[in-house]
Amino acid sequence: MRMTASQRIDIWFRQATPIALTLLLAILSAVPIGVPGYTAVVPAYTAMAAFYWAVFRPDLQPPFALFLVGVLQDILVATPLGMTALSLMVVHGLAVSQRRAFLGKPFVLAWFGFVLIQALAAFVVWLLASILALRPMGPEPAVFQYLVTVTLFPVVAWAFVRIHRYVVR
Amino acid sequence: MARRPGSFTSVAQPVRSFWSRFAFALLLAGAFALMLLGKADILLVERFRTGVADVLAPVLEVLSRPAASVADTVAAARRLRDLRAENERLRVDNERLERWQHVARRLEAENKALRALTNFVPEPNVAFITARVIADAGGAFVRSAMINAGAEQGVRRGLAAVSGDGLVGGVVEVGGRHARILLITDLNSQIPVVVERTRDPAVLAGDNTRLPRLVYLPQNAQVLAGDRIVTSGHGGVFPPGLPIGVVTSIDEGAIKVMPYVDWNRLEYIRLLDYGLDGVVKPSGGQPPFSVMGPERSDQGRLLGLGAR
Repeated sequence: MRMTASQRIDIWFRQATPIALTLLLAILSAVPIGVPGYTAVVPAYTAMAAFYWAVFRPDLQPPFALFLVGVLQDILVATPLGMTALSLMVVHGLAVSQRRAFLGKPFVLAWFGFVLIQALAAFVVWLLASILALRPMGPEPAVFQYLVTVTLFPVVAWAFVRIHRYVVR
Repeated sequence: MARRPGSFTSVAQPVRSFWSRFAFALLLAGAFALMLLGKADILLVERFRTGVADVLAPVLEVLSRPAASVADTVAAARRLRDLRAENERLRVDNERLERWQHVARRLEAENKALRALTNFVPEPNVAFITARVIADAGGAFVRSAMINAGAEQGVRRGLAAVSGDGLVGGVVEVGGRHARILLITDLNSQIPVVVERTRDPAVLAGDNTRLPRLVYLPQNAQVLAGDRIVTSGHGGVFPPGLPIGVVTSIDEGAIKVMPYVDWNRLEYIRLLDYGLDGVVKPSGGQPPFSVMGPERSDQGRLLGLGAR
């Protein structure tokens, strides 16, 4: 079966949506929005995206592309180069390996999975940040950021589900 | 589709599965390698960082506008409501300031005369670069802000960044069209300061919290809550006398300083160029900076202010 050019472009755009969305979230996480105290606890939007697409459409989230998005976020947010990239790799790897546990199950289970996996990723980031700074970082900001991230996950995932259903298909 | 043995697919298939299996490990190793490279302060990595950030600066600039414009609209509506009262207040203010202007003129003349008498070495002229904050990078471990002015606008590393309230931080990274400012609350920020009342020198060290600490105070220093902290100018990093904040609490070992800067409303930042890195700037016959003189357009360059 041959496809017309417009069909092919259409499919290409649909398939590029997840990673483009993650890229957009990486940029958005650096934009100042003027909410008091927001900067310190900007939720890890990209980690939510990495988890969601790793579970539901791992074929549309090539690790290398995700890695590049992570590096880009590191540059924008001025974290040590490679740190966000590594945490996204951790989330992606664990989510892909455990995805059968979440597929076709209630959403709460996926949420719980994200809570566990993101905890590990956040811990790795905290550890690396401490090692790179050559002194232990105060854990409070990392813990707050983690809590905000896992609390907001259902809201962001709701948007992902809509995009998944109507755009990516 | 039937696959012949020895065809391209049968060769490519194992290679592809090999890649997908080890891609992950490779990327993890890549991330670690990047971190090590970044830690080693290699020029190439620095160039890569600023290059990518430069490309993205316009995108961030566009994205950071909606949030700012919403806040602006709300503020504009409120101002419209209070127009009459505001006008009255300004008229009173104006009268008061005109008296001050008179006093200042007299003092300036007196000052000039006395300086001529005592052969005082004048402070260098100061140049301003005003820029908009396009990204206030946060997260749990970094306190920095990105602005929409870079080397093209004359930004250099080490310039002091101030808001209307006080010192914000210093420029640590300069690209063509953007620059990054390390905030005084960042873990890596250490600024030589003095306690204004007692002139005790100290270092203001950020620790990623909202309240940086005062360290390396002299043994006999007597700091009280409410003391103003200003830059000392030691080390030639920042010009002396820039206000930073007030001491809020003194526990054993930890003196916390509350910065004057309102971090939540950090929209515009002014970079002060005192030419402190030893580079003599061509003064081009500019008159010395005058308190009361009309603002020269070439002294303060305004960027990104648009309709204001």
